Amino acid sequence: MSSNRAGKSLTKYKIVFLGEQGVGKTSLITRFMYDTFDDHYQATIGIDFLSKTMYLDDKTIRLQLWDTAGQERFRSLIPSYIRDSRVAIVVYDITKKKSFEFIDKWIEDVKNERGEENVILSIVGNKSDLSDERQVSTEEGEIKAKLLGAKVFMETSTKAGYNVKNLFKKIAKSLPEFQDGQQSIIDSNTSNDNQKDVNKPGVIDISTNDEQTEGGCQC
Amino acid sequence: MSVDILRTTEGIEQHKPLMNEGIGVAAEQTESTKVARNSGPRKSPSAPNFHEKTYAGHSMSEPTLLRNCNGDNLLNLGDNLSFNDRDANLSVINLYDDEVISRQMDDFEDNNDEDSQQNVDSDEGNTPTMSMLQNNCNGSETEHLDRYGFKKQNNFITVEEYNKWWKDYSQYCIRRKHKWKLLLAKSGLPMDNDSPNRFPSRSEKLKRYVRKGIPAEWRGNAWWYFARGQEKLTKNKGLYDKLLQKMDDLLKKKKKKKPMQDLDIIERDLNRTFPDNIHFQRETFQLDEPPMIKSLRRVLVAFSLYNPKIGYCQSMNFLAGLLLLFMDEEKAFWMLVIITSRYLPGVHNVNLEGVNVDQGVLMLCVKEYLPEIWPFIAPLHKRSPINLGNSKYNFGKNEFLYRLPPITLCTASWFMSCFVGVLPIETTLRVWDCLFYEESHFLFKASLAILKLSEQTLLKNRPQRVLRHYSLSNGNYHSKDLRINQDESEMEVFQVIQSFPKHLINPNDIFDKVIFKKRVALNRLDQDEIDRCRKYVTTQRQRYKNYNEIVGSNLHHDDDEINDSNAQKNDLLSNGPQDYGSINNENNEEQISGAASDMKVNSNNRIGNDLVNNALSSEVYGFKKSLSGVHWNNSIKEKVRQMRKKRGKDDDVLL
Repeated sequence: MSSNRAGKSLTKYKIVFLGEQGVGKTSLITRFMYDTFDDHYQATIGIDFLSKTMYLDDKTIRLQLWDTAGQERFRSLIPSYIRDSRVAIVVYDITKKKSFEFIDKWIEDVKNERGEENVILSIVGNKSDLSDERQVSTEEGEIKAKLLGAKVFMETSTKAGYNVKNLFKKIAKSLPEFQDGQQSIIDSNTSNDNQKDVNKPGVIDISTNDEQTEGGCQC
Repeated sequence: MSVDILRTTEGIEQHKPLMNEGIGVAAEQTESTKVARNSGPRKSPSAPNFHEKTYAGHSMSEPTLLRNCNGDNLLNLGDNLSFNDRDANLSVINLYDDEVISRQMDDFEDNNDEDSQQNVDSDEGNTPTMSMLQNNCNGSETEHLDRYGFKKQNNFITVEEYNKWWKDYSQYCIRRKHKWKLLLAKSGLPMDNDSPNRFPSRSEKLKRYVRKGIPAEWRGNAWWYFARGQEKLTKNKGLYDKLLQKMDDLLKKKKKKKPMQDLDIIERDLNRTFPDNIHFQRETFQLDEPPMIKSLRRVLVAFSLYNPKIGYCQSMNFLAGLLLLFMDEEKAFWMLVIITSRYLPGVHNVNLEGVNVDQGVLMLCVKEYLPEIWPFIAPLHKRSPINLGNSKYNFGKNEFLYRLPPITLCTASWFMSCFVGVLPIETTLRVWDCLFYEESHFLFKASLAILKLSEQTLLKNRPQRVLRHYSLSNGNYHSKDLRINQDESEMEVFQVIQSFPKHLINPNDIFDKVIFKKRVALNRLDQDEIDRCRKYVTTQRQRYKNYNEIVGSNLHHDDDEINDSNAQKNDLLSNGPQDYGSINNENNEEQISGAASDMKVNSNNRIGNDLVNNALSSEVYGFKKSLSGVHWNNSIKEKVRQMRKKRGKDDDVLL
């Protein structure tokens, strides 16, 4: 996927968001893109595409985010573009056990399409603000992430804005663009913020490029 | 018809009908509940008002609905003006803003009934606004809402844009309504308190009227009428109530046993249906959920019980939600049945094969009618050929039917939700008007029109990138560059086509710039063509899957459809074709016979290849041509050329 790095040509990475309906995929993207939150987002039908430029470690990359419909029957529509995704973020709702159990299927889909080595699998437990209703413990999440070979595991709250930036930072850091020969920066499956400045001193926080939030074609 | 006479009459009587209308509405309003009253002078033409009124005709869940609507409805925000004639009158006038201005436009518009291009602003006029009919309660509270209770503002349209656009469009709506009234009067049909439930018989003129927009207040009735909803309802009297009963039973059981899966899924989507519409929102001070949400639940659950083959599919919540804004529950239910069976067969089925079929059809249509757009959508270069045992076979021209171009991931939702949430609401409603009058081919027409309109934006966005990559690679494309370039342009095309329709606030952009232009090729598209096309694509895809089963083990598994083909196949075999019921499966074969026989003669003897050829390449869809019939079908020509080329011959020699 990485393209010509000469000049201002940005390296682009496709990221696909998967997971049962209502777990917060759209919400996660919206929080990341615009740092806003609504109680209810319109259900996503089919696929939504957004792109975002991200700065980190003096580098700029472009993320292409693919938001998907969560209902199971939509899975059959998805494989064609999962194939090309560099990163798969599989989201579940910590207050819904079933959504957690469902992530196996999504992961399987991804692996079938792309092969395990070529994709950065991430598992995200969303709605961590609703701790009273929690049905899936952090440990369970971590264990499953390890089991499924996910490189990133994190619990987030899109409502509270918790861990969302960290999630993307962590994912970004596992991209080849930021590896520079160090293979396994991101193997710690933690749910907290301790991945800040992993390995590299002087890491610049992910910053958003407001002018380009709309996507590739407009810039 | 005597357009002239009509026009004259209109000129004279313009104002009066509107007043009458006002009174009519008043009468109707008095009976109905006080929902949406907060608005004081303005009333919503949308649901709750009509809703209850219509629903009152029905038995079972009526009480609930009425109670809900009457009671602590969210809309009762403040001064509950009592609904008397005066208010209603006022409301209607406000509903449409200044009617005086509108009169002046009348003649103008009349002259252009056929090919009107005028009264609509051009592109820049893209200022959507539905402000008018909204429930406006002394301004501040609901000023940001349109007449259906949706927020005017969204990520794509500002309030200012909206208001600016609505100022003109509301005038347009008044004028159109006036014309409708004249038409009805002329046809001797009763206005029934501004709620006519019979409409003139089908004609070119009526079609034109529908295309120019059915009056918002009449939409529920008109859709119901044109879609022949009553037929369906009469045949199934009492069924909806029975389904609701069944639902109640299920919900009681739910506490004991584990809930039906659809129920759970529906539940999760209820609050994600029109969260930006006041009728669907639960305000913080509300204890109970909005009546709309309850209705939506009942309709969706009833449907899932009625048609287990579909159950519940995301996007149906939007279909039902929009219907509920215009008609009562039971009717909304039957309209949902009609949409999912007659207009979008198979689209919401568990395997979504209908989606793939329709997207295949759309792609065929783009290729045929919008050749200038096709290059943006079709892959820039062939993907790697599929590996078939020992021989390599390239799918050729029809490949896009099996491996749908990425853009179909976006356009699929256009069909699934019939543009709800894709186009701004007023534009969506105009498409719906035509959908019920002209049937499903209008969805394709509208899609093509949108794509056509997006051409400029596509052009503006693409060349840059191409050029840049071109120069970066020293004037030479390397295959890798090309590949990257293709990925990028696919993304950009996707982005454009995804967001473009959301800016189409002015419905007349679609109609006046494309649909009403007789010379635009895509207007040749008719229902018969779509029916044939669907049949063709269904067959082709099925063959592909069958073939896949036979030779599948040898196929290179990087194909879109392969992974789930087995699962889909059974369903397709049992359900697919039948879904297309009344389709005329005429002369595909004839049209392509030349190409097919050519192909057979030249195909080599390998069984595998024969199969492939037969299954994947021998049939090319032929669009009907204009009467002259002088045009040789380009797709066949290309097909033949390609096949021959494959055989190692020079296509120039042959063609």
